[in-house]
Amino acid sequence: MALLFAISVSAQQKGPAAFHVPVEYYKLPNGLRVALSIDHTAPTVTVAVYYHIGFRIEPKDRTGFAHLFEHMMFQGSANLGKMEFIRLVQRNGGVLNGSTRFDFTNYFEVVPSNKLETMLWAEADRMHGLAVTQDNLTNQQGVVSNEVKVNVLNRPYGGFPWLDMPQYANTNWYNAHNFYGDLHDIEAATLQDVQTFFQEYYTPDNAALAIVGDFDPVEAKAFVLRYFGPIPPTKRPPLPDISEPVQDQEKKASKVDPQAQRPALAFAYHMPKRNTPEYYAMGLLDQVLLQGDDSLLHQELVTKRGYTAEVEGGINLLGNMYDYDGPMLWIVDLYHDQNITPDGIMQAANSVIDSVRNKPLDQSTVDRALVKLRSSLYSEIENFFGFGRADLLASFALFDDDPARINTLEAQFRKITPETIQKTAQDYLRPTNRTVLTVETKPVATDNKGQ
Amino acid sequence: MKMFLPRSIIAIVVLTAFAIHAEVGKQTPPAGGPPKPFKVPPHQDFTLPNGMKVTLVPYGDIPKVTVNVIVRSGNLNEGENQVWLADITGDLMKEGTKTRSAEEVAKEAAGMGGAITVSVGPDQTQIESDALSEFGPQMVALLADVTENPLLPESELPRLKKDAVRKMTIDLSQPRNVARQHFAKLLYPDHPYGRLYPTEAMLNSYTIQDVRDFYATNFGALRTHLYVAGRFDPTALRKAVDDAFHNWSRNVEPKIDVPKPKSGHAFELTDKPGAVQSTVFVGLPVLDPSNPDYIPFLVMNALLGGSFSSRITSNIRENKGYTYSPSSTVSTRYHDAYWVESADVTTNVTGPSLKEIFYEINRLENEPPTAAELKGIQEYMSGIFVLQNSSRTGIINQLNFVELHGLGDQYLQTYVQKVNAVTAEQVSAVAKKYLIPGQMKIVVVGDKEKIAAQVKPYETGDAGSY
Repeated sequence: MALLFAISVSAQQKGPAAFHVPVEYYKLPNGLRVALSIDHTAPTVTVAVYYHIGFRIEPKDRTGFAHLFEHMMFQGSANLGKMEFIRLVQRNGGVLNGSTRFDFTNYFEVVPSNKLETMLWAEADRMHGLAVTQDNLTNQQGVVSNEVKVNVLNRPYGGFPWLDMPQYANTNWYNAHNFYGDLHDIEAATLQDVQTFFQEYYTPDNAALAIVGDFDPVEAKAFVLRYFGPIPPTKRPPLPDISEPVQDQEKKASKVDPQAQRPALAFAYHMPKRNTPEYYAMGLLDQVLLQGDDSLLHQELVTKRGYTAEVEGGINLLGNMYDYDGPMLWIVDLYHDQNITPDGIMQAANSVIDSVRNKPLDQSTVDRALVKLRSSLYSEIENFFGFGRADLLASFALFDDDPARINTLEAQFRKITPETIQKTAQDYLRPTNRTVLTVETKPVATDNKGQ
Repeated sequence: MKMFLPRSIIAIVVLTAFAIHAEVGKQTPPAGGPPKPFKVPPHQDFTLPNGMKVTLVPYGDIPKVTVNVIVRSGNLNEGENQVWLADITGDLMKEGTKTRSAEEVAKEAAGMGGAITVSVGPDQTQIESDALSEFGPQMVALLADVTENPLLPESELPRLKKDAVRKMTIDLSQPRNVARQHFAKLLYPDHPYGRLYPTEAMLNSYTIQDVRDFYATNFGALRTHLYVAGRFDPTALRKAVDDAFHNWSRNVEPKIDVPKPKSGHAFELTDKPGAVQSTVFVGLPVLDPSNPDYIPFLVMNALLGGSFSSRITSNIRENKGYTYSPSSTVSTRYHDAYWVESADVTTNVTGPSLKEIFYEINRLENEPPTAAELKGIQEYMSGIFVLQNSSRTGIINQLNFVELHGLGDQYLQTYVQKVNAVTAEQVSAVAKKYLIPGQMKIVVVGDKEKIAAQVKPYETGDAGSY
């Protein structure tokens, strides 16, 4: 059992001391990665289990399956029947959720801190195995179909740009398929698919457990060993190649959205590889170009040109720039009026993007980006009680085998020079690395003249 | 003002249903240890000589601070032909002050790790930002400048009006917003709370003078409460508050206009040809937070439709698979509230969904919950209360709610105790007293051709046929 303690890697030469997240990390003999972080601010504790299986690598004839499977994890295990898991969390004063992302599927509970053992028992119970029926599956196929309808099909801009853009910008099927799933594929899933997926991917050596909040670490480790220790690891299939080829030509795509009353536009660039200097530079470029009213794109497209009310987007629209592990896009999106052409918008956007490619940023802009980044990192860490912190710890445990990385991020950003930022902008924010997606309204748009 | 999906998507939001079979030989979950005590974080209150109220809440260990200037100015203060004038005023407040350009305001805020939002609701406008802790006092000064000295420049008005027209158009292309709009109008036909959207002509008619008049009429120290929560140096922060706000001489009393919501059954079906789902809203005016029945009503709501394991959610989601995220809520305004169950359901089960919603309302009214079901909900609400008071913005929301409704500090101190004192009979009694099926406003947005026959029984207030 390896036991690592977080080492404070504070490379800060200036400014106030970085916030230090306490991290204790170890692995059980069955391979389960465990990250503990104490925070006595409130008498609550977050338990988060992350499985290293996202929607990227679901079976090819079963689009949307990773997400459907996530729903099945609430439908019953050896000791908890359908609904009992949810009732258990609620009657103990807690909240819970699960979500499916690019590279993981997560399950978490935030409960009063005296209920830590109860939640560890329950999460271990469903890691041991599922006990689900055809009725449960049929029911959740209905629920998931309704989820797709409410979020994609029965609304304007459904899936724009978060679900659409990866399908246009990527070429490798694993990155470019419909992650929410075709309704047909969702309905085709069988109980056998559910069992196979569980056996292949929901194993302790493919998972990380994060515990954050007000708890006693000695007691917590004893619970973890007692409940998760006996779960045997199993053999996983080899991982497919999820890499994306380098893009060398600009792509353009458009879709007509009959429910939309105004056009929309998004553009995306493939990101540098995670954890490289260029990746951190893109984090800073995101702050400079896109985040906040002071950003260059906001100043140009909103304030100066009046093309839109808001420019949105970022790195990994289904999470944050830290919690993924594969090819990723930096996406910018906005809604505009019919009398502004996509070309006009791209021209204005280009003028701003070219400005950061053509000359290095001045130090005050870099400094402001660093402050924004630090503030946004703290926001991620404190997001939804202990969950945000658990999200980073579990992601870094799964992807980097090093959750204590959480304390090194600020220093990594600080190391980036204006020259690296400019070089990154030149290499990655080039039009040939870009996909532009436009959403068109129906040819005859009906204006809403009131009620 | 976010219009689209939140960043964390594909989240399972709700789940529920009844345990199908209890098998013998199952392990029971470990109970956990004794609960730890929770106290609402203490706060320091004071009033400036000009009447403005201030609340400081030291909280947490993350080196950030949230500053929120809450003004009793909102859609309530709009005239009949001024819908969204409050929102336009809020938008223009971000366009610079008498000494700072809009870009300078944005850059200064960003340089402190913050971003200013001006959000306008029915009763209040909130001018808010967080900041890294070391910038707390400067952020107070910046937000004070935005609040007290907005330039309200005429040059930006056409652009912001155009943005508002676009936002309105996009909002109203979403069935949920159409349903909300109709529902509000049925509840409050003669009150600003019933006017959720303007017309394009109305928006285009607003002049800079309208905006400046709206600001002058509705912003001032007597209407304002400043909340600061997080980590900060109390001495420096208090001084910043005094320096920034003590000279604000503008003073106007809050406008009090409590609506008399329209009672009685109403039904409205809006056609959305080809819709694969129907959006349904079922609800009515209920008691406001100052009513002694309010907490029993909240318990009833959580059990009926307001939580993951609630009865309606169990029924139409986990049992029937009709919908993804049904929920009931108690939506409060100043001394006013309504209850609503809303859901997006598959088109061909629109009628059956309504039937099940009324079935669950009737069942609860006629049959008190079991002790175990009630206890489960009470524990849930007690736990949620801890969470609601365990973040900077959560704490401010709670204190602001208490302040707006004049509930007094003891409301939060005794909330958990009161929740746990509610009896099963009280739950049924408040359901019966307030959720009268024949009085419900029912709004449906969906494919009329496919659902008209299904929803026919709900066109009248004859609840016997539901």
